[in-house]
Amino acid sequence: MTLHPRESRYGRRELLQRGAAGAFLLSSMGSLLAACGGSDGGSGADLTFATPENPVTWEIFEDNPMIASGLEPESGTLRIYNWNGYLWPKIKKDFAKEYGVKVEETFFSTTDEAVAKISSGAVDFDVFFPTTDRVGRLILGKSLQPLNGDYLPNLANVWASLRDPWYDKGSQYTVPYATWTTGIGYRTDKIAASPAKLANPYEIYWDEQAKGKLYLLDDSRDAPAHMLLKNGIADINTENPDDIALAKAELKSLYDQNVKTSTDDYTNLPEGKAWVHQMWSGSAISAQYYLPDGVGTDALGYWFPQDGRGVIGSDMLAIPSNAKNPVLAHHFLNYLLDAKHGYDNFVNYTGYQPPFTALNPDKLVADGVVPKNLRTAIVRESDFDVASQFTELTPTGATEWQNAWAEFKAGV
Amino acid sequence: MSDLSEQVGEDKTGTRFWAGLALPGMAWLAVFFVLPFYVILCIAFGSVDPIFQTAAPEWNPLQWNTAAFEFVLEGLFTSGAAFQTVFLRTLLYVGIATALSLCIAYPVAYYIARYGGRWKGLLLAGIIAPFFISYLMRMLAWINLLQDDGWVNDVLVWVGILDVPRNWLDGRASSVILGLVYGYVPFMILPLYAFLDRIDRSLLEAARDLGASPFQAFRMVTFPLSMPAILAGIAIIALPMFGDYYTPDLLSGAPQTSLIGNQIVLYIRGGQQIPVGAALVVVLMLFLTVLMGYYIYATARAQRRLGS
Amino acid sequence: MTRLRSWLANPWGKPRFLVLFTALYLAWSIVPILVAIRFSFNEGRSRSTSQGWSLRWYTGDPDLSVLHDPTMHTALLQSLRLALIAVLVTVPLGVALAVGLTRWRGRGSGTARGVSLATLVTPEIVMGTALLLVFLNLLTFVELGTMAQAIGHITFSLVFVVIIVRARLLAIGPHYEEAARDLGASQLQAVRLALLPMLVPAIVASGIIVFAISMDDFVISNFLSSGTSTDTVPVRIYATGRTAPTPALNALATLTLGATIVIALLGFLLWRTVRAARGQAGSTVGEFAALDAETIR
Repeated sequence: MTLHPRESRYGRRELLQRGAAGAFLLSSMGSLLAACGGSDGGSGADLTFATPENPVTWEIFEDNPMIASGLEPESGTLRIYNWNGYLWPKIKKDFAKEYGVKVEETFFSTTDEAVAKISSGAVDFDVFFPTTDRVGRLILGKSLQPLNGDYLPNLANVWASLRDPWYDKGSQYTVPYATWTTGIGYRTDKIAASPAKLANPYEIYWDEQAKGKLYLLDDSRDAPAHMLLKNGIADINTENPDDIALAKAELKSLYDQNVKTSTDDYTNLPEGKAWVHQMWSGSAISAQYYLPDGVGTDALGYWFPQDGRGVIGSDMLAIPSNAKNPVLAHHFLNYLLDAKHGYDNFVNYTGYQPPFTALNPDKLVADGVVPKNLRTAIVRESDFDVASQFTELTPTGATEWQNAWAEFKAGV
Repeated sequence: MSDLSEQVGEDKTGTRFWAGLALPGMAWLAVFFVLPFYVILCIAFGSVDPIFQTAAPEWNPLQWNTAAFEFVLEGLFTSGAAFQTVFLRTLLYVGIATALSLCIAYPVAYYIARYGGRWKGLLLAGIIAPFFISYLMRMLAWINLLQDDGWVNDVLVWVGILDVPRNWLDGRASSVILGLVYGYVPFMILPLYAFLDRIDRSLLEAARDLGASPFQAFRMVTFPLSMPAILAGIAIIALPMFGDYYTPDLLSGAPQTSLIGNQIVLYIRGGQQIPVGAALVVVLMLFLTVLMGYYIYATARAQRRLGS
Repeated sequence: MTRLRSWLANPWGKPRFLVLFTALYLAWSIVPILVAIRFSFNEGRSRSTSQGWSLRWYTGDPDLSVLHDPTMHTALLQSLRLALIAVLVTVPLGVALAVGLTRWRGRGSGTARGVSLATLVTPEIVMGTALLLVFLNLLTFVELGTMAQAIGHITFSLVFVVIIVRARLLAIGPHYEEAARDLGASQLQAVRLALLPMLVPAIVASGIIVFAISMDDFVISNFLSSGTSTDTVPVRIYATGRTAPTPALNALATLTLGATIVIALLGFLLWRTVRAARGQAGSTVGEFAALDAETIR
């Protein structure tokens, strides 16, 4: 059917008819969807976020009760949602054997992704590993279920300060799992400078020798935190627009260094992909197992502020409210809280210290767990008094920080 | 001819029968293709639940909230802003990659169409093979070769072009663009070949008989005739390339080579601003629809010129 | 110089430049894959230095081989599972849709045709985002994971079945069904007994294509995955490709390629058998090439 070049396929009337039909369809679809679809939004609950100065005891909600005591563990498959490399496979095997169940672990690579999936309820896991800056929203949103302490006698093994932490007083929804600091990892055999010797240790990120071999952590809170600390801003949870702009500018100035982001610090540094890497303490300790032949552990260095005023944190274990095997999950939490299991997990695989009273930090070097030159990666209970921890951001703050991070990631 | 006989044989129950056959498929597409587009709009025009940090879609068009769109459009039209820079960078990379792909695909398609002869089947098999190999696997193969101790560096050092192995994967635009070319060029060759195969050879012969040099024959006969093919090839690879985010991630990892797809993924996969991600997706689709419209117009014009 | 010129200018001679160019292109296109496959059989850990031959990364290594590493063989199984589901659902749905759309002449058929082709020009990131948001916000009974991914694959590959079958339909024409109806068959019987058997090559070809598309799919599988237990092979390649992967990753990719080739061969053999059973003469490859040409037009 050939049309004259000036002819259009539809007459004007037909166009109007179709347009009207479309608009009618759209608005009726709108009301239909409003009637049947979607989850009910937030109940407008009071958003009080916990901080170390302002500890919070969470409410136990009526529609999200804890499980009853004295129940038998289920026999299904225990499903764990975790960071990669954060749980020793042997622990899973031993637990599976002891309880006669199957254990399955699924990995996520960023907190954002994991929290989004857990909050939406679109995934179902029995065990989750939240962080202090997200746990408040997860609890208020009823995505985590309250824990029944009767199943968790091993909680007594944990440091007193973390048994009753500021982010969850009384350990009602979470139990501690591991502690960590965020410092700077570097290759002593490749970089002449070392952060400890610099006037401003964070300047090592701008060191000429690090060009093209510089990595920051792919985390929208950790990476800017170092930029804040570099400029003497101790409050890593600041929502001051000037501070945010400053951190963003500092991050962008690293483009000249060809900076990249990654959460695989425990392999990037030992393999030589990175010579300076913003690093978690646990990765510093486990990095020694990824060194190629011929390179000794003295090639690795880890710097953390000597006055202790750096970034510190503790991750925890929790049980999502839609878990299919809650009793089994409680048993698993208890299993991990056992002093020996926690220690083995740390020493043999993760490198992240569990906060157990039985674990003597001063013995770790002597026991050969941590190489002497990496002793700055060891975490002590007293460190928590001086260092800064991540707390939850308000919606405005979270938006501002996300935009700053997106702009950095855009390479503008 | 068959058109006419079909029309004559049509009756009311016939229409209902055929429509009925098409119904399951159409219903599926309605629910899982058309509806999601409306949902994206509702989310882009919606808000965010402060507790769950999930999107709170606004189903009623009359109550749509334009904040996310305002943010995105501001970022797109303000000089130097993040969205604009990334978008222009994406245009640049896609443009260069498409042009390079055309330079590679056209000669190959031309050769197979005109001179394939006995080998045509085998050559076509070689061209079709990459369709059966995952894009990711082909990228993986190239990452292997581009590593510090990979073959590319080995060869370049051995030949003497390089003194020291160069790090190709540390965030170069060239690696990303060449990666895009490698990944997408097979999708261009096949349509180009199909069109070029149809070109009447006698037209070319006539031109040569009339005294045109091979180059002139190409320029005045073959190339204009292949315009619809070129346009089709460009459309087939440029549209998906705009949504690519994994190629820069794999071959680079640095912020300076990130594309609009990376920004979309950042905003959609969690965090406070899912509506912004949805708005970006809508803007991208609108842009691609405009491109598609231009393609349809240009093809129609080219075909009119050819009198077909 | 004049000899060179006349050699180049000979209109009936072989175009040496083009031959060379095409050969180089084919090498550039295929050699990296062969190299990757070669290193999947490497004895050592390197993916760039030749270190002997072994099946270590397929079955041997007790922790890291595809057989023993749970994330790896789970990915392979998930890829196969999704591909199979995709073929089993998309092909019947697509064939019905293609037949219905081609013959339907009523009102709305134009729009229907346009919508069914629209998926072809939608980038996967748009579709992945759309489906993710739908499953998170509206159709929340669909959990992320296999069901969501399968739905995504089916939606994405439907258009390919439609295109292939439609092309064949247009080439076949309505004569056979009309003849059947003249002999007294109902409309449904005509389609079933006269039309469908003629469509077998197109159906088989579209099945192979859907399988290949599903195995290769990355974006939709990535967006709709619930975590490593529902990751497919391309998703695993993406997740680990940049960081210290062992040749096991190459092995996984090679196995995936192998699966696709096997299915293509099986489809081809199936087609051959059907044709032989029906007593059709001629080359099967020729029929495949004809199908190809029709589709592209």
